[in-house]
Amino acid sequence: MRVSYEWLKTMVDLPDDPDALVAELVRTGTEVEAVETAGQALDHVVTGYIETCEQHPNADKLHVCRVDVGAAEPLQIVCGAPNVAAGEHVVVALEGAVLPGEVKIKRSKLRGVESQGMNCSERELGLGDDHSGIMVLPEDAPIGVPAALYLGLADTVVDCEITPNRPDCLSMTGFATEVSADLDVDTHIELPAIKHEEGPEASELVDVAIEAPELCSRYVARVVRGVKIGPSPAWLARRVQAAGTRAINNVVDVTNYVMYLTGQPLHAFDLGKLKCRDGKRSIVVRAATEGEKLTTLDGTERTLEAGMAVITDGGEEAVALAGVMGGLDSEIDEHTVDVLLESACFAPGSISHTSRDLDLMSESSLRFERGVDASRSAAVADIAAALFEQCCGATVCPGAVDVYPRPVEPVRVALRPERARAFIGARIPTDFMVERLRRLGCEVAEDADGALSVLCPTNRPDLTREADLIEEVCRLFGMDKVEATIPAAKNHTGGLTKAQERVEEIGRILRATGLSETINYNFAEKGDLARLGREDVGLGIPVRILNPLSMDQGEMRRTLLPGLLRSVAYNLDHGVANVTLYEQGRVLLGSPEAPQPAEPDRVAGVLSGAWTDETWDEKPRELDFFDAKGIVSALLDKLRVERVHYVPASPERYGWLLPGRAAEVRAGKRRLGWLGDVHPETLKRFGISQPVVAFELDQDAIVELAHDELPFKGIPVFPGVEVDLALVVDEETTYETCVQRLDSAGGRLLVDVELFDVYRDPDRVGEGKKSMAFRLTFRSPDRTLTAEEVDAVMAKLVKKVQKSLGAEVRS
Amino acid sequence: MAALQELEGIGSEALSAIGAAANLADLDAVRVAVLGKKGSLTQILRSMGSLAPEERPLVGKAANDVRGKVEAALAERKGTLEAEALKERIAASAIDITLPGRAPHVGTQHLISAIVEEMEQVFCGMGYDVIDGPYVETTYYNFDALNAPADHPSRSPRDTFYVADPVHGDPAREARAESELLLRTQTSPVQVHAMEAHKPPIYMISPGRVFRPDTADANHLPQFTQIEGLVVDEGITFGDLKGTLDHFTRAIFGKDRATRYRPHFFPFTEPSAEVDVSCGVCGGKGCRFCKGTGWLEILGCGMVDPNVLEMSGIDPERYSGFAFGIGAERVACLRYDLPDLRMLMTGDMRFLAQF
Repeated sequence: MRVSYEWLKTMVDLPDDPDALVAELVRTGTEVEAVETAGQALDHVVTGYIETCEQHPNADKLHVCRVDVGAAEPLQIVCGAPNVAAGEHVVVALEGAVLPGEVKIKRSKLRGVESQGMNCSERELGLGDDHSGIMVLPEDAPIGVPAALYLGLADTVVDCEITPNRPDCLSMTGFATEVSADLDVDTHIELPAIKHEEGPEASELVDVAIEAPELCSRYVARVVRGVKIGPSPAWLARRVQAAGTRAINNVVDVTNYVMYLTGQPLHAFDLGKLKCRDGKRSIVVRAATEGEKLTTLDGTERTLEAGMAVITDGGEEAVALAGVMGGLDSEIDEHTVDVLLESACFAPGSISHTSRDLDLMSESSLRFERGVDASRSAAVADIAAALFEQCCGATVCPGAVDVYPRPVEPVRVALRPERARAFIGARIPTDFMVERLRRLGCEVAEDADGALSVLCPTNRPDLTREADLIEEVCRLFGMDKVEATIPAAKNHTGGLTKAQERVEEIGRILRATGLSETINYNFAEKGDLARLGREDVGLGIPVRILNPLSMDQGEMRRTLLPGLLRSVAYNLDHGVANVTLYEQGRVLLGSPEAPQPAEPDRVAGVLSGAWTDETWDEKPRELDFFDAKGIVSALLDKLRVERVHYVPASPERYGWLLPGRAAEVRAGKRRLGWLGDVHPETLKRFGISQPVVAFELDQDAIVELAHDELPFKGIPVFPGVEVDLALVVDEETTYETCVQRLDSAGGRLLVDVELFDVYRDPDRVGEGKKSMAFRLTFRSPDRTLTAEEVDAVMAKLVKKVQKSLGAEVRS
Repeated sequence: MAALQELEGIGSEALSAIGAAANLADLDAVRVAVLGKKGSLTQILRSMGSLAPEERPLVGKAANDVRGKVEAALAERKGTLEAEALKERIAASAIDITLPGRAPHVGTQHLISAIVEEMEQVFCGMGYDVIDGPYVETTYYNFDALNAPADHPSRSPRDTFYVADPVHGDPAREARAESELLLRTQTSPVQVHAMEAHKPPIYMISPGRVFRPDTADANHLPQFTQIEGLVVDEGITFGDLKGTLDHFTRAIFGKDRATRYRPHFFPFTEPSAEVDVSCGVCGGKGCRFCKGTGWLEILGCGMVDPNVLEMSGIDPERYSGFAFGIGAERVACLRYDLPDLRMLMTGDMRFLAQF
């Protein structure tokens, strides 16, 4: 809503400085988007005084003037106006001025004589029609003053954002009322009134029928005759323009002006363009039929949908898209003589849908969407008729046709001042509440029990309950004046749950291992699983978005891996060769049996390249399977998840991983997830050309299986004995098997088994064999072991291991 | 006596050799040559038996004197040479301490997560619970129960992602993007679930991802992060809302920041307000960062509308409450002056490593 300060000032007492009003508007809840100074079109236009005026040497109709414009030297101006004369006070456009109609004033020569500016007529200044001669100002007019200032054209436009609950503020009268309550000042709103009515009653000329009362709650029609289409008076054109609409002609401008004034959108039909049936025009408001066509004022042919409200000529063809835009066929033009004026109320929801569906917003649709006060439609039609009479030379036909199936009644609300004070937390006097609510247009009476009985104005549909009035009191009192307090929170404790703390702990551990956190979209592309080379197994059905922004965000992700692989590709494409990322996030797994999907959390990571670039004394090592495994093990170990083990991932189930370099992570029998080298074919489909190791785990399961405490383990008191042992085993024999066999062979005294070397050499170890060197630690909890004891245990162990592993033992 | 002369000669030779020894190895060679098993002095001592008995005490004393002197000289010279050697080692071990250190590689937290955790801490400190809810919500929880009118523009497919219902979905309606299921556009539905599940007192925040069909650009993301809060208790006032958010704002933005409450409109609160924090760049005087106003808009809030309480089965005559919502991305922008929100979603290591 663009509010002209000059216009508003005619309705309510305002401070001289618009900024003071702006501050109060912001304080009381009207957002101000911009403050503009109007009258800019008259920059470089000043008042002047014609010192001399002589005949042009080469042209009969031109004069050469010396004009004082308050500058050091008078200007020489060539003027063709018949009324130009020495001693006149005039309006002068200086070099650099741009007059309405994009007329640029330049220094030029007219018939050989230089002209340094232009004396202006009213029309040239956009102030009116008069072009018979230059505008002559009174003798006491000052010299060299900006014309906009002298003529009172300087205006400030306050551009306000009106929240959807305040349709009243989409009108100057409503805005003035709001301002009077904000500032606690009086309003003085004077509205135009019809002077004279003549001719046939409107009801003899027009019939109105509302076939769809759910779409139209009131329709008032008035008729004015004999309009003389022409430009609007300057004051009216200025106000319409300040409000943001181009001035077109007096009839159209009046309808816009009255809309800005009252908030009631109006429409003017050219009466002559409507079909005459038995001497009468017939307006029928009905719902459009599917596919019905209407060419709107902007010249666009619109295809309507069933249910949109249309104004029709006798129920037949549509002549206007109700509340949104008029039809081209019944438009006012320069030949219009008689006007049928519509002041009607249409259903907000219907207008909102229509305007959205057709992508057609107008000042009218905006107001109907928010809600127009139907109780005032007839009064507003009278205001418009009065202005047609005043500004368009029209004769107003007596009466109006008013169809009003569902009259609006004002709402009475009880307000308990004590409740308001308790709710806001401020001692606001009851008198303050009464006074400010009255300023807002409420009728307030005090009940015997101390409550206020408030009759709310019909242009405030947002005031229907006590809470609504408390809001008004709160904002007018001033939120900044309410003392800030902290709630006592009696009988309440809070804080993170154990599970929430563990989720945060997972992040902390992963960062400590070196990974950095990233966040990806929860959206997925339909083909993401296929791109991975992954089946749907275990992932349910996708959650499909009905109105995706783009096809690559058509559904919700079921695994974190594609997003992370895209991050790897992004980094590689941007010259970052080392990518070490993790993400904790949700996946959405739909099911054909349930409307809403399961939404488990996952934690996943990717490692590619090295931890760092080469440094002055370190060569980077390429990250591989064991880095990922180390991270996963550290994570599960820190959270004390028990019975964690890794089994080879089957290529059938884990198609996106490199066979032989992939593991399933389990805790006992429970699957926690997977880790491994991503298959080169998968990487290729994501545009990645260097190896990537990844993991993805079930975060919910980890959180569930984590332990906070494990029993204390004693610090060893007696020294241990370390013995190194190399096992030469078949290539297929796993580390895990070796450890298991060693463990079971070592008995109670063997407390630790650590692998410290793996060695392959066909000549010395043998083809298809490997030598695995273990450091075994023997310790007794209650004595120092003797060499003989250890030797005895070792001898047994070696024998057993040779048998169980088929290993050759070298100690 | 030849033996005594010889001893004198050994002594003086040894002392000059000790003085001339340039390093510990040379010095040790002198020691061996004189005092070693086959050393010159040792030889003399060993040959004592061949001397005349009357000569023995004289020669023995002289030999011991010489040994004493030589040993003392050796010790002194050794001390000097060791000190010199240490000095040399120290000089040789000096490094360019401006060379980069070997830092353990520690990962970084995404700044949105960091902001969320920080806010959680602030509210947990005030005794709030942290509650999460599903991404796929029903229109009831996302709109109806929050007092959003049936024709509210935020419900249109332009402002809300709708989701196919695999059980009740009607293909014709779904073709028009109409469904009872959607991706939550705010985390407020979590509050409705909480009000249904728990009796007051309720002190909670619900951080989490939300979704709106805004094409990603410098200022918008179709997925972002909201932290919404709800308090429902007896005697909760608008002043309590202010006190809580003042505390929060200062905890997040700094002790010296001021707040401003501007009345606003939201369907689920009344009265509603937008909260501004004084600009941290200019201190409230007005600058380019705050567009000359001195204030930065940070969150929306208000007293819970009685309709919302009632719909969740809470008596609005007995209980009142407040709610607020803040965007983590908005805070990130204000704090780090991010020029483009999309940076948050690329996983660019160069960006992530900064936080």
